[in-house]
Amino acid sequence: MIMNKQEFLTCAGLQMQTLELWLEQRWLIPDQTSAGMNFSDMDVARARLIRDLKTDFGVNDEGVDVILYLLDQLHGLRRALDQLPKDL
Amino acid sequence: MTNPYEVLGVAPTASSADVQKAYRKLAKKLHPDLNPGDKAAEDKFKEVAGAYDLLGDAEKRKRFDDGEIDATGAERPQHHFYRDFATSDHAQPYTNNSGFADFKDADDALAELLRRSERARANRRGQDLHYRLPIDFVESITGANKRLTLPDGGSLDVTIPPGLVDGQILRLRGRGEPGAGTGGHGDALIEVEVLPDRRFTREGDDISMELAISLPEAVLGGRIRVPTPTGDVTMTVPKGSNTGTTMRLKGKGAPRRGGGHGDQFVKLKVVLPKSPDPELEAFVSNWGKGKTFNPREDSAS
Repeated sequence: MIMNKQEFLTCAGLQMQTLELWLEQRWLIPDQTSAGMNFSDMDVARARLIRDLKTDFGVNDEGVDVILYLLDQLHGLRRALDQLPKDL
Repeated sequence: MTNPYEVLGVAPTASSADVQKAYRKLAKKLHPDLNPGDKAAEDKFKEVAGAYDLLGDAEKRKRFDDGEIDATGAERPQHHFYRDFATSDHAQPYTNNSGFADFKDADDALAELLRRSERARANRRGQDLHYRLPIDFVESITGANKRLTLPDGGSLDVTIPPGLVDGQILRLRGRGEPGAGTGGHGDALIEVEVLPDRRFTREGDDISMELAISLPEAVLGGRIRVPTPTGDVTMTVPKGSNTGTTMRLKGKGAPRRGGGHGDQFVKLKVVLPKSPDPELEAFVSNWGKGKTFNPREDSAS
């Protein structure tokens, strides 16, 4: 599902300020269109993960940065590995 | 559902701080997004999260302790975890490939596959550009420096390694199209076409050629100059060399991969003078043995 900023805030249970901060950190990278930002279900799930990390796990912002960076790498590897048998 | 205290591994008398501590310890290990490939972790995490929903909230915990709600009363709503999306094609803005950047520089099949699957992504490397470059046969054996003029007016300097074979592809790293994001440039792939040579042909590492010799050279033998891709050499033709006699010039072939060179094979071909020569005619008509020799003996029926 594609949603605009307001819908995303409701769906992910985020405050506008928090979202602005996360966008600035590039923890969330929604599609940019002429009509504004487009958020997807994936962005909601990613926002939930960040929220889990921050509130439930007590990870601070620097920690979130590191975790997301490593997770993105991990998923990059998983994708490449997944693609491998198809390319062979 | 099992007892939430047991799930978190705390005593019913534990303080709320202890409950949170126990939850964090378990959740860090079990969070599905930190265990992308482990299905069991998700179920376990839901159980732990459910227990914490109940016990982490003082009011709910009291109601549970009082028996007002059961352990399932705080079941979390179903939600999709980030990992469910992360490996899909939509995850492009987030995917990061630096985890295997060092693998990609290799020339093996794995690196090629990594490069290929990477093209589909946001931070993708630039496209590889394909070119064809015709070179002379001699250049393919000796190696050469060529300049390839590009359609956009630019040029590429290409070093042809000695011993290159027709159809071989040279990769110029980073000379392809620019990539997106941090992807970097693609490579220029140059397929080299070795133009046929009227003297030389190549078979593996060996080079063959046909060399014309005169009648006196064939009959009496002698030293003659033979062209090779690396320059002329002198070869001794033995007495009585016939058309079809093949001589070997050791080490005058193409460079071998593991070092050394192939050989050049020179097939001799006796050539008579173009215009009829009265002296030769007179000699041959007086040559007795020449009349009794039948070169078609074997094929005569």
